Amino acid sequence: MSNDLDESLRAALRPVDPGEDLTRKVLAAVEQDSSRPPRGPLPPPGHPGWRWPSAVLAIALLVGLATAYHWQLRRQERGLEARRQLIEALQVTSEKLDLAYRVVNEQEHTENGS
Amino acid sequence: MSQPSDTSEELLSRALAGEAPAFGELVRAQQRSVYSLALRMLGNRQKAEDLAQEVFLQLHRNLAAIESAAHLGFWLRRVTANRAIDRLRREPRAQMLPLEAADGVADEAEGADPLLMRQLRVLVGELPPTPRAVVLLRYQEDLDPTDIARALSMSIHTVKSHLKRSLAALRKGIDAAAQDEVGSST
Amino acid sequence: MSARGHLAMLVPTLVLAARLACAEPPGQLLLPNFDSLTGKSIQSVNITLDSTLLGLAASFLDSSKPDDAATMQVVSGLRGIYVRSYTFNKDFPYPTADVETVRRQLVPPAWQRLVQVHSKEQANVDIYISVDHGRANGLAIISSEPRQFTIVNIVGSIDLKKLHQLEGKFGVPKLQLPDGQ
Repeated sequence: MSNDLDESLRAALRPVDPGEDLTRKVLAAVEQDSSRPPRGPLPPPGHPGWRWPSAVLAIALLVGLATAYHWQLRRQERGLEARRQLIEALQVTSEKLDLAYRVVNEQEHTENGS
Repeated sequence: MSQPSDTSEELLSRALAGEAPAFGELVRAQQRSVYSLALRMLGNRQKAEDLAQEVFLQLHRNLAAIESAAHLGFWLRRVTANRAIDRLRREPRAQMLPLEAADGVADEAEGADPLLMRQLRVLVGELPPTPRAVVLLRYQEDLDPTDIARALSMSIHTVKSHLKRSLAALRKGIDAAAQDEVGSST
Repeated sequence: MSARGHLAMLVPTLVLAARLACAEPPGQLLLPNFDSLTGKSIQSVNITLDSTLLGLAASFLDSSKPDDAATMQVVSGLRGIYVRSYTFNKDFPYPTADVETVRRQLVPPAWQRLVQVHSKEQANVDIYISVDHGRANGLAIISSEPRQFTIVNIVGSIDLKKLHQLEGKFGVPKLQLPDGQ
């Protein structure tokens, strides 16, 4: 029974012919597939196959540079603003310390004078 | 499975040298096997043609990696079976469709029971993708279990297990169909 | 008073106490929102420099320039500078309740009052220092003049001598503090 089934399967699963149409379609597709030659893993420099990857790489590089430039600009703006605020804060602090010292001084002079 | 011959080796050498007509001859020599495997895996002529076309295009791109005519035959069956399994996994609804092309696509062997042949093709088409590939590589392509294991990246034990279970399922299906036939004729 | 009334009073106090106890590091004050004063004032200064912004500001100072180098000396060791200053065109338009909110935080043992002065022109300046294990980790100045109200809070290790070194730089007035004070 096992051998019978094996033979029946072989008979049932005999390969079928797709016809000449498939060969024609395959050869047309191969001809259209000009981005890769039949040999070699990568196209040579200057080959049209490099156009798209090169364009994508160039755009990615430009976007990256623009983002880095923008980030650097933002950081500089924030840094300069922080520096301005720091100096202003130190000015205010000094003014108030000075005011306190002047008042103490005035009071001492007044007490000494009276 | 077509056996490698001097002609196949020569065709391969010429195709490797970049001769387009030689590549065309290689396609002609191998298309029957690739197309049949794709058809019985996918159960649809159009899908089978598309898959066969993709496989040959991939072959054209990777021709430099093909070492011999025997390697070429093995490579084509391996790529076709694995691509078909991947496609069926991506489209689960297509997995269990009966072979649309089961009728009239094969020249039945002389003396074979056409009804049994048709039933077997339908039953094979109803197997899950991986066991279906194992059965087709064994009985359609005549690969031995060692080569099937290499082609589908699985152990020989797994191949034998798939074959055993698939044959049991096919036998059960044939018996059930035979009983239906007896029941309907009485 | 009802239990609900007690609860209504207790909750904000507990929230404030919890924020004071947990949220702010030693030497840092919880400054009230002075938004209402912004509309009344003719000039306002609102500076919040946490440790990140102080680090960023310091990275934009040039150590080869004497002015910047002196500022770097002052900033090193600081963890924050917070300034709120409002100038008005009429006398005392600011609410004393807001000032009291700050003063209530400046209590021993965390804070010690260094100076409290009242001038004839009604300028009041209080200077507090926060000390932990013998080290100053915060400075607070509350200055209320008839037409100006200022709060300064510096967090971190403060060296008044270094601040003194900034005299005459960036428009910082000549401090009349004697050396070493």
